[in-house]
Amino acid sequence: MEHTAQALRRITLFAGLSDDALARVAREAVHRTFAVGETIIFEGDPCQAAYFIAQGNVRVYRLSPGGREQVLARLGPGQAFNTVPPFQSQGVNHATVQALTPVILYAIAREDFRRLVGECAELALAILHDFADRLDHLTNLVEDLSLRTVRGRLARFLLDRASAEPGGVEDTVQATRRWTQEEMAAYLGTVRDMVGRALRAFADAGLVRIDRQRIVLLDRKGLEAEAQR
Amino acid sequence: MRDRDWAIPEINLLLCSRCGTCVERCPTSAVDMGPEGPVIARPADCTYCVLCESICPQQAITCAFEIVWEPEG
Repeated sequence: MEHTAQALRRITLFAGLSDDALARVAREAVHRTFAVGETIIFEGDPCQAAYFIAQGNVRVYRLSPGGREQVLARLGPGQAFNTVPPFQSQGVNHATVQALTPVILYAIAREDFRRLVGECAELALAILHDFADRLDHLTNLVEDLSLRTVRGRLARFLLDRASAEPGGVEDTVQATRRWTQEEMAAYLGTVRDMVGRALRAFADAGLVRIDRQRIVLLDRKGLEAEAQR
Repeated sequence: MRDRDWAIPEINLLLCSRCGTCVERCPTSAVDMGPEGPVIARPADCTYCVLCESICPQQAITCAFEIVWEPEG
């Protein structure tokens, strides 16, 4: 149990819990392992549990009616998935999740998760905090989808995610986060082809330079003007 | 990868099905099929064009980007 609690302490959602609250969570958490390529949950199946990744990486995706995969996220150690459906009356899994590497995770059964939240205010607040952040992102995304083009959304994304000006205090930390075009597309509510096209258009316009694995921002004013489109 | 200033696509051999599509389609022929799966055999020829990422049916190849400002001066 102690080992489980230590592992759960590294999960972002649980990091701020007291030892007592964490011990209660640990009592309900079931250690599970998955091989690479194995599907952990399927979109549309009744929700059985919420999941918390201790080791490894997973891919979260949905299938379009035409059978096209839309990757929503790649998640790694410390991150969670399927935390929303347990709170819906007839919750189903919102997406399929597949192991990209060998994965170790902790599962908390739907009913246990709901009961824990009812009994433990600390956990309820942590989950509310997480949901609030997601709601904020989705609200902004809905506004962006209604009002801005993919180019506009990508320009804002690049401005928000770029490392600080060279020499700035955030430079080192921010520069370590790397994004695939697929991840950018998922974040912006579009598909990777559109991101690639918009990036090339920015490069042609002299707003950015694609310098191998770096997207180098060249023109702040130009990108800010694009972000209004 | 971090010990040099330029990246090459990352190939997850655990996901790879050895179908050879990346070897066939790489526009600069930088990819060879090795005994354990595809490898970027000629990294200097790789232009990081992300075609291999987009065509891999197993989504085993990823090309990630840093987002940075142009250095001053």
